[in-house]
Amino acid sequence: MNYNEVGKPLLRTDAYEKVTGKATYVADIKLPKMLYAKILRAEHAHAKILSIDTSEAEKMPGVRKVVTGQGCDILFGACIKDQPPLAVDKVRHAGEGVAAVIAESERQAEEATKKIKVKYEPLPFVIDPLEAIAENASIIHERNHEYNRLPGYPPQKGTNIFHHYYQVKGDPEKGFKDAEVIVEEEFYYPLLSHVQMEPHGCIACWDSSDSCRIWASTQAPFIVREIVGHMFHIPFANIKVYAPYLGGGFGGKSDVSIEPMVAYIARFVPGHPVRLVLTRKEAFTSSLLGRGMKGKIKVGARKDGKLVALKASFYYSDGAFGDTGCNVVTATGFVATGPYEFEHCEVDCFGIYTNTPPVGAYRGYGHPEAHLMSERVINILARKLGLSQAELMRKNFLSDGKINAVGQVIRKGNGDLYQCLNEVEKELFADPKPEEDDEFYYGRGIAGLMKTPMMVPNASSGAILKMCEDGTFNVSISGIEMGQGSQTTMTQIAAEALKVTPDKIRISKDVDTQFSPYEWQTVGSITTLRVGNAIIQAADRAIQKMKESVAQIAHKPVEDLKYEGELIRSKSDKNFEFETKKLALSYLSPEGHGVGEPIETTGHYYIPGVNFPAPEVGGGNCCGSWTFGCEGAEVKVSKKTGEVTVTHLAIAIDLGKAINPMGARAQMVGGMMMGYGAALTEEVLFNEKGIMKNPNYNQYKLPRLSNVPQKLTVKLVETPDETGPFGARCIAEHPAISIPPAIMNAIHDATGVDLFAIPVKPKELLAKIGGGQDANN
Amino acid sequence: MPTTKVTLKVNGFEHQLEVDEKETLMEVLRDRLDLTGTKNACAYGSCGACTVVMNNEAVRSCLLKPDKYNGNEVLTIEGLAEGDQLHPIQQAFIDAGAIQCGFCTAGFVMSLYALFTNNLNASEEEIKTVLEKHICRCTGYEFIWDAAKLAQKMMKDVT
Repeated sequence: MNYNEVGKPLLRTDAYEKVTGKATYVADIKLPKMLYAKILRAEHAHAKILSIDTSEAEKMPGVRKVVTGQGCDILFGACIKDQPPLAVDKVRHAGEGVAAVIAESERQAEEATKKIKVKYEPLPFVIDPLEAIAENASIIHERNHEYNRLPGYPPQKGTNIFHHYYQVKGDPEKGFKDAEVIVEEEFYYPLLSHVQMEPHGCIACWDSSDSCRIWASTQAPFIVREIVGHMFHIPFANIKVYAPYLGGGFGGKSDVSIEPMVAYIARFVPGHPVRLVLTRKEAFTSSLLGRGMKGKIKVGARKDGKLVALKASFYYSDGAFGDTGCNVVTATGFVATGPYEFEHCEVDCFGIYTNTPPVGAYRGYGHPEAHLMSERVINILARKLGLSQAELMRKNFLSDGKINAVGQVIRKGNGDLYQCLNEVEKELFADPKPEEDDEFYYGRGIAGLMKTPMMVPNASSGAILKMCEDGTFNVSISGIEMGQGSQTTMTQIAAEALKVTPDKIRISKDVDTQFSPYEWQTVGSITTLRVGNAIIQAADRAIQKMKESVAQIAHKPVEDLKYEGELIRSKSDKNFEFETKKLALSYLSPEGHGVGEPIETTGHYYIPGVNFPAPEVGGGNCCGSWTFGCEGAEVKVSKKTGEVTVTHLAIAIDLGKAINPMGARAQMVGGMMMGYGAALTEEVLFNEKGIMKNPNYNQYKLPRLSNVPQKLTVKLVETPDETGPFGARCIAEHPAISIPPAIMNAIHDATGVDLFAIPVKPKELLAKIGGGQDANN
Repeated sequence: MPTTKVTLKVNGFEHQLEVDEKETLMEVLRDRLDLTGTKNACAYGSCGACTVVMNNEAVRSCLLKPDKYNGNEVLTIEGLAEGDQLHPIQQAFIDAGAIQCGFCTAGFVMSLYALFTNNLNASEEEIKTVLEKHICRCTGYEFIWDAAKLAQKMMKDVT
C-alpha cells in the first residue's frame, strides 16, 4: 500500500526540546512551597526493626517532618498488596526505606537522616531463588498467604513462593516417550539494573485530605493513580498524576516504584509539594531490578528434527515484594518454547521472595529469560541431531496454522520467521568465517525470538483529537514518550489518518490523568499498536464529523463527499470543494449562525478477545499480539584472556510496517546493545551481608561506545498485521531478547564451549577452553 | 555550613553568588540558576550527563567545588544556540537521530563542542576517546557516532 507519511524517516518531534535543554523532567520541576525528602535506607538485607529514634533528626536545621513506617497499616500493589510505603516491623532488603526526612533543602534533609538511630535484629537472609525455596529457608513474608491479591497469583503458605504459574499443552509425559533425542540443561540469568539515565523522581502534594497532585517519572501514571487511590481510600478523580518527559524507562518505571512512598510521606506536610529524586546509588538499591532467574529445561525431538516435548521450570528471585514481578513470572510461561511449535509442553514458573530490591518489568518481560534457555537448547539439540541450528529452527518455526504453547493458532499476519532467519543468515554469513589464528577463536551464532505484550484483557489506550481553526490538530494521548520515539510515530500515524502533513499535528508531550485520555500503561512495546489504533479511530470519527457538517452546509449526501485532508470534495460535482479548517469550531455560515459540531473526537483501542490465562492449565487466548524475529552475533574470543569481542550484531524483525524506519533502527540498535550488556558485562552483585556490591556506574559495567560492534545489521521485514495501525506491530523491547543466546551460540561456534550463565566471565570461559594465561578476570 | 562568595559567567551573564563549600557547579547551574538542561545522572563524574564547557574545556560539573569554578566562564546547553539558530552539533544530533530519552544528550553535545571548537580536525580516535566517557542507555551509540561525524562536517562546512 502507498502511504504519504507512514514509512518515512521523520525526524523526532521531541528532538529540538531535548537538544536545547528545554525538555522538562521531574527533577527539573520547582514548585512554590516545595520541600525536599531524603530517605534513610536499611543497611541490612533482612532484619527486625527494634526501635527508631528520630528525636535528634527532628531538631536539625530546616527539618519540617520525620516520617517512619511505624503504625502504618497500608500495603499497596496492583496484583498482590504486599508492600508498605516505608518498612514497618522489619526490613526485607538492603536499601529499603526506613524513615524519611522532609526539610527545606535536600542537603538539610540528608544531614538529618544521619541523626536517625535505628536498632535492628538481623535475620538470616536469602538472595538465591532456589535457596529461598529450600526447607528451613528464612521466611521473608510471614503473612504471604494473607495478603489481598487478584485471582491467578496463588501463594504457597509458609514458603517464600508468592506466585506459581503452571501451563500445559498436550501430554508431556507421552511426548518425551516419543522423543528419540533429549537435551536437559540448567540456566542462570542474573539480576540486572535498568539504569535509565534519569534516576527516579517524584513530587507529591496533598491539597486536602482526599485530593493530591503527583509529578512522577513514570511509564504508568494511571497505575500510580489507582494505587494511590487504594492506599488512602480517596476518589480517583481527585488524584492528578502528571508525567513530564521520561529519561528512559525500560520497564523500571512501570507499575509503581517510589510514588507510593512519596505520596505517603507528603501527607504529613499538607499543602507542600514534597520532592524526592533518587541518587544513582538509590536507583540501583531502592527502585526496581530486572530478571534474576534460575531455570531448568528439557527438550525432546525425533531424529528427523521434529520437536515433540518440552518441560521447563523457572525460579525467579523476585526480591522483597512480589507485585511488580508476578506478571513477569506468568509471561515467561507463554514463551518458554521459544518461537517453535511443540505438541507437548509443560511449564512451571515460580515467583519467589528474596532479600533483594523488588524485581519488576525489564525490557523483554520474561522473554529474555525464556529465550536464553530455548535458543541455547536448540543450538545444543541441533548438534545432537546432526543438523544445522538453522535447519532445526526451520523445521519447527511457528507459522501460519501452527499452534503455540498457549494454544493459539498462529496467523500469517503474525509475521514470518523464515524470512527473518534468511535475512540474518544472509548478513551474518556473507563472508567466510575468519580462520582461527594465534590470538583469537572466531564464531557466529543465531537465535530466534518471539514476543507478546503481557496485559490485562481490558488494557486500553485512548486518544483525544481536536481540530484547531487553522487546520492543525491537537492529539492528546497518554502513551509516555520515554525515548522510544512514540511521539514521532504517533505524529506520522495521525498525519496519515487525517491526510495532512506532520507539521499540522501536535501530539501532547506530557500526561495529566485529569485531562489526558485513559491509558493502562506504557509497557509491552504497545504504544504503536494500541495508541496508534486509538488515534486512527479518533481521526476516522473526525473525518466523519467533517463530512456530516459539509453535507449539512452544502446540502449534499454524506456518501457523495470525499475527504482529502485540507479539502472535502464532491464525487459528483468536480467543481465543489470545501476547506475543512472552516469546520473546526463548527462552521460559521454567511448568514451568521453555526452549523455542525466542533471537530473534537475521541478514539479508543484494546486488543479484543484477550483473556487471563486459564485456571489450572494456564494458557488460552491470553496473548494479544505476536512479533517474530531472529538475531545473530559474530564474536572473537581472545586465546590469552578469554575476553569476548563482538564484531557483528544482527537482527531481522517482522514489524509488519515500519512507521518510521529510522526510529525502528534506533530501537533495534539500542536494544541489541542492551542485550550485549546482559550477555557480557552487566550483573547486580551482593556481598556476604546481602548488600549490593556494585550500585554505581564504575562497577556495574554498561556498554560504552567502544563495545559497539564494527557491524550492525538491522533488517525490517514487513508482513502486515491486519490488527495493527497500517499493518504495524510491537517491536521496542524485542532486540534485547535473544542477543545473549546468539552471543553464547557464537562462543560455542568459536571455542566449542557451551555456556549456561551470563554474563560471560572471560576467566571461566578460558578455563573451559582449557588454555591461556594472564587471565585477568 | 561555611559559605563562600563566587563570581561566575554563565552563557554570557555574570552572577555573584554565595554558595556553601560543598556546592558543585552542577548544583549552582541547576538549583540556583535554573539551567536544568545540565543533567544529574550519577553525581560522581562517571556518566558525563552533567558535562558543561568551562573556559573552553569540557568538565564534569558534578565534580567541581567552588574553588574550581569561581571566576570562570561557563557555557551550558542553554547557551549554545543563537536565538532560533541551533549550533551545528545540535542540528547534527537531530538530523542523525541521535536523541532518544534526551537525558544524556546535553553532556554529549557539550563534550563535542569543546572538542571541535579546540580542534575541528580531531581524528576519529580523538572523537571516540571523548564519546567513550559518556553513557547513553537508549541508542546503542550508533546514531551518536553518526551525529559526531556529521557535526564535524557541518562545522567544517561553515568555517
